[in-house]
Amino acid sequence: MDDRDPDKLPFGRRRRTAASALIAILVAFVLGVLFNAPAMKKTATELPFGGQRSVRLALVSPAAAVSHWVFLDRPARFAAAALGKPDPGLRPVEVVVVTPRPTPQPTTASGKPRPQPTAKPLPKPYAGHPMHLYIAGDSMVGIPGMALVNLSNDTHLIKPLLDYRISTGLVRPDFFSWPAQLQRQVKAFDPGAVVVMWGANDNQGVQTSSGKVYEFGSSGWEKEYRKRVGDAIAILFDGGVRRIYWVGQPIVPDSTYDRQIRLMNDIFRGAAKKHPGVQYIDAYEVLSDGGGGYAQYLRDDKGEMQQVREADGEHLTYAGGMRLAKVVMAAIKAEWFGKKKPGAGSAASSPKASAKATPAP
Amino acid sequence: MLFPTITFAVFFLLVYAANWLLMPRFRLWKWMIIGASYVFYGWWNWRFVLLLVAATFVNQALGVQIARARRRRGGGRAAKRWLVLSVVANLAALGYFKYVDFFAVNLDHLLSSVGLGAPLPLLRILLPVGISFLVFRVLTYTIDIYRGELAPASTLDFGVYVAFFPYLLAGPIARARDFLPQLSSPRDPHSVDAGRAFILILGGLAKKILIADYLSTHIVNGVFASPQSFSSWETLWGIIAYSVQIYCDFSAYSDIAIGISLLLGFELPENFNASYTARTVQDFWRRWHITLSSWLRDYLYIPLGGNRKGRGRTYVNLIVTFLLAGLWHGAGWTFVFWGGMHGVGLALERARADARQARGLPEPGATAGTRALQRLAVFAFVSVAWVFFRADSIGGAFGVLWRLVAGLGSIGSAVTWPVVGLVVLGIGIQYVPRRLIERLEDGLAGIGWAGQGAVLALALFLIDTLGPQGAAEFLYFKF
Repeated sequence: MDDRDPDKLPFGRRRRTAASALIAILVAFVLGVLFNAPAMKKTATELPFGGQRSVRLALVSPAAAVSHWVFLDRPARFAAAALGKPDPGLRPVEVVVVTPRPTPQPTTASGKPRPQPTAKPLPKPYAGHPMHLYIAGDSMVGIPGMALVNLSNDTHLIKPLLDYRISTGLVRPDFFSWPAQLQRQVKAFDPGAVVVMWGANDNQGVQTSSGKVYEFGSSGWEKEYRKRVGDAIAILFDGGVRRIYWVGQPIVPDSTYDRQIRLMNDIFRGAAKKHPGVQYIDAYEVLSDGGGGYAQYLRDDKGEMQQVREADGEHLTYAGGMRLAKVVMAAIKAEWFGKKKPGAGSAASSPKASAKATPAP
Repeated sequence: MLFPTITFAVFFLLVYAANWLLMPRFRLWKWMIIGASYVFYGWWNWRFVLLLVAATFVNQALGVQIARARRRRGGGRAAKRWLVLSVVANLAALGYFKYVDFFAVNLDHLLSSVGLGAPLPLLRILLPVGISFLVFRVLTYTIDIYRGELAPASTLDFGVYVAFFPYLLAGPIARARDFLPQLSSPRDPHSVDAGRAFILILGGLAKKILIADYLSTHIVNGVFASPQSFSSWETLWGIIAYSVQIYCDFSAYSDIAIGISLLLGFELPENFNASYTARTVQDFWRRWHITLSSWLRDYLYIPLGGNRKGRGRTYVNLIVTFLLAGLWHGAGWTFVFWGGMHGVGLALERARADARQARGLPEPGATAGTRALQRLAVFAFVSVAWVFFRADSIGGAFGVLWRLVAGLGSIGSAVTWPVVGLVVLGIGIQYVPRRLIERLEDGLAGIGWAGQGAVLALALFLIDTLGPQGAAEFLYFKF
């Protein structure tokens, strides 16, 4: 407890009245809102499409207009520019033009299907020439990604790069554009293989390039989401990536959210079947209990019980992440280090998925 | 609801206005603050509010029974029974929410090791935020009534004490006997210690957002998640950075909680006092999480016998107290190990002092050099202990420590100038003389409301601009 005599504060300090402090707080609040209005508007804009977003925008937009009018939005913009940070306000969406991958496969002069780039033999990594593994996704890939980084380092033949962005996905490029990020990283890191995991934040409306918004789960949403999954695959292959390991979302205890996840997993699995060189990793199965239900704890290889999910029932603990990472690493090793015939990408697509796959939503 | 968010800013603005408008009608004020606190707590999960309601009514009923029994002649035994019931009920609630799965998993390991492995029911129990703080807080009520140091409050007052939102999630652990007297009369609206409150809030936000969150994302998380990716040099800085992060995170919450309480007219106990300037482990615990260490001393160590039952028993009591303190922090062996390290450290210090006393040796002189070495030694000890506190497993902690020697040869790129600067700043602020901080508080108190508002806005703007996007949860929420 503060042992100072309240009536004899040091240096003769006067205490303030509650009203005076309230006015100071109000002044700070109003100025703070005006200083921060561009960022607040950006945050409101990035909310899922719906009523809450509209209300927030209705509240924040006038403040943003006033802030701009009285030049109080400038300090934050100047400071961000000086610090090399992104502008705090709304930014134009990074548009990535994706050339659709040709289907059916082009044929040779003799009429036989032309081999896909992914069908070429995979270069075997060796000391001094590691395979570059790019791991991308939302917060769900954070912990399994770290486990995968550790497993990769243990091989001394894989150079991993983990790149996870919380609250991101494929439906809101206005919040974070994964297509643009993939293009950048593929160019900079030149990965041979890529592990991706998205979907946890994609259970929301999606806006097409024409401006139409489709609610989650509608046929329009499914069509657009399939397109975005296909675009991501096309960007990676066009950048020279040889294999993609698409990790589905794991089972969750909330039945509504679980249904949504299963819908997205079906789309991921379908994309893996369609595109040679893409393998679906069924995280739903890997993290389910023996009966296919949600499990907070699972037994490891030695039979010891381990907590695999965080208290939120969604994110993975390190043990859970390692469990998933081992499955991904096994798939990578089978293709890059195994004796398997090279170019078996399409055949390797989700071999187990059809047997004990995510149940239909 | 997180403190550094616009949601909380709006919430607090409304509560602050209601606080002083309703203060003259004190009974109504109490209902208002309970309601506001329930909204604050229920923001995560409304079901958690039921826990606050249950804690209020159960402990109030037990407190009244204890007091009644004490008043009766020969009622000592009955009072003790009610007290035991209170302790058991509160610890059972804590055990259910926090430790059921921990014990089930360890029982499973034990049974499996002797060939009796059997599937045990494991529950996915949602841990109510700050439940450990809540349990320790309400126990001070029933225990102090039993000890005759406190009379039962009205149910309404006790409801305010249980739910008061500033300290609800992560302390300080305000004792009932310190807080309840402040509910005996309305707070004076002409005597708000605004200067100190504003400095505490701004300082807390700066520590949390500018130092703790930055270090967490830029070096600490990586070093602890994937130690083999980092060199010895980076690991060393990662460990030091975690020591700074946890101080700046936890002390920030305490500072903000104390500042918010001051604005509402209430004083909360100090929780941190330049912790990393400590020269002994004992000194560290007088400066770190002061309300917890004094709670442990008064409600656990002394009832265990303290230092009254001989030297050996004193050392055992110290170790037991800190093993339990470790377990209080989290349901995991890493926390128990961390507590054990501190317990053993304290016991060894005590043994050394006892040995010197027995031989009639005076306390060693403290030159500036020895003081610096002592501080460095205590900081090193505390930092190594934090590795176990932070790691996912004991093996993981040793893995991080092993990198200190196994990663020699390269420097790595994780130790950047901002990381070094913030670590130095995080430690350096603990050496800022208190008098200087008080002058700052006075300076802010001395200017008018417009100036205060402008200073607050500017400081918040700088913190927001310089800090990372978004606010991470406070580390101690999970305890």
